[in-house]
Amino acid sequence: MQKAPYFHLTFRPNIKLVSTVRRFIGDFYRRVLVDQEMSQRLALATHELLENAVAYAADDETEVRIEVENDILSVRTWNRTTPERIDALKATIDEMNAAPDPDTFYQTMLIRTAKRTDGSGLGLARVRAEAEMNLGYEIDQNRVCILATATVVGGLQS
Amino acid sequence: MSVELPKSTSAVLSVDASFADGTLSSRFIGTADVEAKPYLDDVVKKLHEEALRLGANKVVIDFRELEFMNSSSFKVFVSWLALVQELPADKQYRIHLLSNPSMHWQRRSLAALSCFAVDLVAIET
Repeated sequence: MQKAPYFHLTFRPNIKLVSTVRRFIGDFYRRVLVDQEMSQRLALATHELLENAVAYAADDETEVRIEVENDILSVRTWNRTTPERIDALKATIDEMNAAPDPDTFYQTMLIRTAKRTDGSGLGLARVRAEAEMNLGYEIDQNRVCILATATVVGGLQS
Repeated sequence: MSVELPKSTSAVLSVDASFADGTLSSRFIGTADVEAKPYLDDVVKKLHEEALRLGANKVVIDFRELEFMNSSSFKVFVSWLALVQELPADKQYRIHLLSNPSMHWQRRSLAALSCFAVDLVAIET
């Protein structure tokens, strides 16, 4: 049985390097996934999750892992952050997951963000609506893992 | 005639603009990410000011050579649309977004903008 390629990066990023990682991920998974659109969705999700991780990290190390297991594509990012940020992340993801329709929730977020002056607050809703991925989190003290998943369509390239 | 925009402070994004026959046209090339955000803020603010000053009835934004836009840059356009929505009806202008349909993010993000301001935004491919 073919083992699916995976990608795991631990790095000390500055936020400008996130675009470099996005392009690499897009290229990497264009050669792994049959569905080329899925590699674009993955690149978008990775970008938004990494920007969040880097922007709110309490130290200067961030991890990202992308893999396919049992037809589920997953992106995980890890970073350490503050209790306030963890509470905000949990509240955002819980509210989002309680909303049944990703696009309707995204429009709600667009209305909210139009007048915001502190960041966009759109990244996670964008991952769910535009990258069409489900979101969750795992918390271990001050270390937060954000998980985005989607079902792989079309399988993997041989 | 060409429209003068703020001097680029970004190595990853360039924007130009021109005005003719009541239409202000602008072309975005590169990547609109966190590195480009301050420049994007200035450019979009200037486009709005110029559209009002010139009495444009239409603003065309050409995204076809824009490789990617992150959510904080996307928010700049959301806020712009909200600003135009708040104008008196006789001051409002239509915004046409030129899209490259081979880029998934453009299809999804521009459709979301269109839903947000359905009376103002049209998407052309």
